[in-house]
Amino acid sequence: MKKGMRKLLNIALTGSMVLGTAAAGSMPVLADDTIKIGVLVADVSGEEAQGFRAYYEDYIAENYDVEFDYTEALADAAGEKAAIEKFVSQGCQAIISLSSSDRAMQIETCEEYGVYYAIASGVLDAEQYETYKGYEYFAGQVGPSNETEFEAGKAMGEYYKEQGVTSAALYGAFIPNPMHVYRTAGVIAGLGDTYGGASDMNEIAGQIFADQRVDTEKVEGGVEIAAYLQGYGDTTTDELNAAIQKNPEVFLSVGMATTFFTQTLNTAGIQFSDIDSFTEANGAAIKDGKLTYLAGKYSSSIGPVFALVKNAVDGNVIRDAEGNAPSFSQSYLVATDGASFDAYYVSDNGDSPIYSKEVLDTVIGSDVTYEAVQTLVEAN
Amino acid sequence: MSTSKRIAGTFAIPVIAAVILEAVCLCSGQNIITNMKSFDNFVVYTAIVMITTMALSINLNSGRFDFSLGSMASLAAVTGAKLSYALLGGGKGSAAAMLVITIIAGIVLGLVSGILYVALRLPPIITSLGVTLIYEGILYTVTGGKYVMTEVQNPSMAAFAGTWIYAAVIIVIVLAFIIFLFDCTAFGYDYNALKSGQKVAVNTGIREIPNAVICYGICGGLMGIVGFLSAARNTNINGGQLNFGSIAIMFTAFLPMFIGSYISRYSNEKLGYLLAAVCMSLLNSTFAVFSNKITASMQSIINALLLVVFLIYLNNENLFVRIFSSRKSRIGE
Repeated sequence: MKKGMRKLLNIALTGSMVLGTAAAGSMPVLADDTIKIGVLVADVSGEEAQGFRAYYEDYIAENYDVEFDYTEALADAAGEKAAIEKFVSQGCQAIISLSSSDRAMQIETCEEYGVYYAIASGVLDAEQYETYKGYEYFAGQVGPSNETEFEAGKAMGEYYKEQGVTSAALYGAFIPNPMHVYRTAGVIAGLGDTYGGASDMNEIAGQIFADQRVDTEKVEGGVEIAAYLQGYGDTTTDELNAAIQKNPEVFLSVGMATTFFTQTLNTAGIQFSDIDSFTEANGAAIKDGKLTYLAGKYSSSIGPVFALVKNAVDGNVIRDAEGNAPSFSQSYLVATDGASFDAYYVSDNGDSPIYSKEVLDTVIGSDVTYEAVQTLVEAN
Repeated sequence: MSTSKRIAGTFAIPVIAAVILEAVCLCSGQNIITNMKSFDNFVVYTAIVMITTMALSINLNSGRFDFSLGSMASLAAVTGAKLSYALLGGGKGSAAAMLVITIIAGIVLGLVSGILYVALRLPPIITSLGVTLIYEGILYTVTGGKYVMTEVQNPSMAAFAGTWIYAAVIIVIVLAFIIFLFDCTAFGYDYNALKSGQKVAVNTGIREIPNAVICYGICGGLMGIVGFLSAARNTNINGGQLNFGSIAIMFTAFLPMFIGSYISRYSNEKLGYLLAAVCMSLLNSTFAVFSNKITASMQSIINALLLVVFLIYLNNENLFVRIFSSRKSRIGE
């Protein structure tokens, strides 16, 4: 009886392995002209990340002959490299990166394997761009520059300083991610505070990079940073509760607060801000909750990157007048109430995104130029 | 042992911990419990630690090391969250529905783990590692590696996590249930007999296999409660815990388990686990007071150091007593 049971278990395990192998071997076969694009993501849960994914998978894939293949949440450079190699082995013709652990390595790897590479919703720093702008397979970058990130944080800080806030909790999201470092530096500057005696963007950001976090003892000025936390893990709830216990007047976040903390902050009755995107859940948070400031991107803002990649794969690799990969900066939209939120959300929703097929078609084709893409990005 | 010595022995560690930690907080002009919100957190955290400790100790005291507790908690919580959301859409009664479904799911997962253990006849540490990987894989498949948030973010769950009362009720019910089950029933007598001497107990006719499977089922149910409490506290469930990512949940219970076992010399072992959980929660609240100075990684180091120090004490207790006694007698001379 016992032997029989063991045999049964063995058969079941062997069977599941065989079925798994068979399933892997029966992946759907794509049409020859279908473009296959791998997307590197560091976040799979956030409001912004889900909005971006829905736009590519539900809208772009429906309207163009393209298939997107997403990674799991990538935590480090090694994961990014392994993901690129996996995409290459699966026949992807291009990689779009929303993950920023080591973008230089990503470009180098794509160049090595001869697959096109583009950065969405972010850009390389100036020095890196100078290094890689001439790479053959670098299709370009579209997103907020580091200066734009700093200004977004600064505007948020200034908004609450004008409201008369004197005590704040600060969430640094995923510092040392450059995007979050520059936003945090901006928040400190916007509050009118200094960090280690510095008030200049590059000096504050440099110190945060060195510290790998915000050291609250180095923040000086009229607005006290009562508590600071960053990242997300086993201890985050404890850190958030500790921050709430210090009774800050506002909880300032440079990303992901609306994903992780909305319910807790609503329950605690603490107003909060975030730099994220215009999604349904964030709309509920600003209309019915305590979200009082949202600097966001709209979900289809990653449309132009797709256009650059599709053109490159189709043979029209777009370059500027000097022959370099294009680099376009995008700015943030700000909502402080339900009405201003709806103004952006309603115009970029589901089947009618701002970068719709009709709009994107104006920059997809064999005769599209750098200037045409630049004009479109700057107009939106 | 006299009653006064029993009382003193039972409450010595929690009282000493409270006095030391409060003194540390007072040095910076603060208290361990600063307001009602911190008290809510204190009670909820106590409940999580106490129940996890009980779940860990049930099998570990019988020589069965179970790595799968964390994965059971997460998978049971996701099952409860998804089903309760499908039934009620996050409306009234969602928290209660999720709690019930999560406990049932936890019991089922625990029973499956127990049945695999007795069927495969592999060392429990190996079986539990396999079960952990399987449950984490199922969790990842169900959630797509994402945090489960929509299903656990609703007014019902917010109301549950917003007060200490529900967590306190759960502590009382679980404590009473576990004490009754293990100290006052035939199952409990069998369990204690097997724990003390497995071979002798089996020779007397106690059926080891059903007892072990039921133990796994109880552990699963307890971890279901932990999964629910954690989901209410964190307002999400991490669905991306692959490659033993869920094991950390179990390790939070080691120090309180040893402290609880020490307290059990003077009183009921399960009461010891509650008092040990109170100690851990006091420490956690102190970390909250100093959150700007003590980072998460420093907290982990402090917890690990405390565990090592306590184990050193437990393993050299007689030596310490001898040293202390000889000094005392020298002072007397």
